[in-house]
Amino acid sequence: MSEPILELRDVARAFPVRDALGRARGAVRAVDGVSLSVPEGSVLAIVGESGCGKSTLGRLMLRLIEPDRGAIRFMGEDLRALSPAALRRRRRDMQLIFQDPFASLDPRMTVEQAVAEPLRLHGIVPRAQEAARVAELLARVGLRPEQARRWPHEFSGGQRQRIAIARALASRPRLIVGDEPVSALDVSVQAQVVNLLQDLIAELGLTFVLISHDLGVVRHVADRVAVMYLGRIVEDGPTEAVFAAPRHPYTRALLASVPGQGGPGGGKVAVLEGDIPSPIDPPSGCRFRTRCPHAVPLCAETTPELEGAAHRVACHLADSLSPATPPRERDAGGERLRRLQGFFTDRANPAPSTGDRA
Amino acid sequence: MSAATGPAVTASAGESPGRRALRRFLRHRLAVFGAVVVLAFVLVALLAPWIAPYDPIETSWARIRRPPSEAHWFGTDENGRDVLSRLIWGARASLMAGVVSVLGAVLIGVPIGLLAGLAGGWVDTVISRIADAMLSVPFLILAIALAAFLGPALENAMLAIAITASPIFVRLARGMALDAASTDWVEAARSLGNPPWRTALVHVLPNIVPPLLVQSTLAIAEAIIAEASLSFLGLGQQPPAPSWGSMLNSAQRFLETAPWLAIAPGAAIFVVVLAFNLMGDGLRDALDPRGTRR
Repeated sequence: MSEPILELRDVARAFPVRDALGRARGAVRAVDGVSLSVPEGSVLAIVGESGCGKSTLGRLMLRLIEPDRGAIRFMGEDLRALSPAALRRRRRDMQLIFQDPFASLDPRMTVEQAVAEPLRLHGIVPRAQEAARVAELLARVGLRPEQARRWPHEFSGGQRQRIAIARALASRPRLIVGDEPVSALDVSVQAQVVNLLQDLIAELGLTFVLISHDLGVVRHVADRVAVMYLGRIVEDGPTEAVFAAPRHPYTRALLASVPGQGGPGGGKVAVLEGDIPSPIDPPSGCRFRTRCPHAVPLCAETTPELEGAAHRVACHLADSLSPATPPRERDAGGERLRRLQGFFTDRANPAPSTGDRA
Repeated sequence: MSAATGPAVTASAGESPGRRALRRFLRHRLAVFGAVVVLAFVLVALLAPWIAPYDPIETSWARIRRPPSEAHWFGTDENGRDVLSRLIWGARASLMAGVVSVLGAVLIGVPIGLLAGLAGGWVDTVISRIADAMLSVPFLILAIALAAFLGPALENAMLAIAITASPIFVRLARGMALDAASTDWVEAARSLGNPPWRTALVHVLPNIVPPLLVQSTLAIAEAIIAEASLSFLGLGQQPPAPSWGSMLNSAQRFLETAPWLAIAPGAAIFVVVLAFNLMGDGLRDALDPRGTRR
């Protein structure tokens, strides 16, 4: 880990909400002032409930969505200053893996065409070597090279996600953003794809941003975790620190909601009540105060900023709260995943591509 | 969606979406019948010089308005010309008008529609309003006005029909492009570094071909009727060259004394239009992504 390859400063994006006549009726503040940095070679996980702005943040990082304000620096370059053509060239270094592998592959392109597309767009290998490179990539993600001539509809979800991963790897990117890359898959297939991603990260020295709500997967894969709530990051730190000693009340509640974490007798952590407030009209001050068991009047007045060195938290009460009770079972959330992963690695590299027909 | 609910790996390996559609089309009996009839008419039109028993424009005072006989299967017209021969040569004008004008409509309408759907904003608004305005005028009225403006000739009739039919393709292509633009695979294309034009041509266009194909087949049927109507009004094929519409036009004066003059071209139009419609319906079923039963 070294210099940050990606740096976001105070990035925000709101989506206008219009009524039936097309008049603006406010805006959904999907991402509202996020700053973070991703060191080269690290795995950063962004976690949070659905609707908290995780996916929007992922797309802002790659400038697939234009931010309203803020700065995005990628490989030392201001991403927002790039011309459309320069941005397209830059895309060879940053790739996205989508959540739904049934939607992310063009139904009228064979596997070979899909995986070769980035090679061709960025002129990475001469045409003559294209087929060989595609075969190599397919083998790397556990598919048989002779499946290259097939169509996406002929594959299962796990296989399709492998194809999408091969496509993302094709241009040898420096950064990959995975937007819930395994949550659309069956549990058994999830473990295999997580294994694959972990192998690839280690082997290729990838910088990976994992957007996920599955804390088990996150704990297993990520070096750092950023917890998002209503468009803002509320806690951010090394994975082990965040999981062992969460400082923000929201993070605590999130971790307590993982099955198996409470243990017999029931945990003492209050379970969150109510829904996530509307991002059109977020609460004043700390956005979590409406659901926070510890809220005091100060929380409604000033918005807490992320404070701290390695392990940052945005909470006025962070220092006065009683230390979090460490989870009783040390790796509760990851237990099921770990067992499954073990199961699949023990079987001495199962026959690629046939194993994950769920 | 979990992996298990997705489509199972099909038995026929390596089958492209196109081949799958063809297989399903061939199981649709009426559609295949329509396609065969269309093909037969195309062959007749192409082979007209060799299969027409008489010269279609040679007149003869010796055989005016004769009823069908062994020498003249469909009878002769008011100038003593063989109706069957005129029908065979007329197939050229009618099918040409149908195919060429729809091709023109597709070439005009689809790029404009793609642009509107993918560019959005004011470009979309301007294009959509113009298309709406054109669609608000009845098809034939607009075609007649345009054809009259351009002058009576078969080429002008085809051009008029092409322009009149293009807003439907603008609307269809725009709608499909809008749909496609919101999909993950179009966003994926962008995230891979595709320029907008490449996304439009390589990713969006191939995926919207099926509904365009269906619409085209149905539009050919309509265009054949439009050409017949224009010719009937004297705006299409000019005499003495035959077309089904102009044959109907001259037949109307003799509807009581020589009905075969109207029945032959009328039946030809009816059969061809029906065949194109059957084929279009079959294509729609075969290409429908939701139609997994067939």
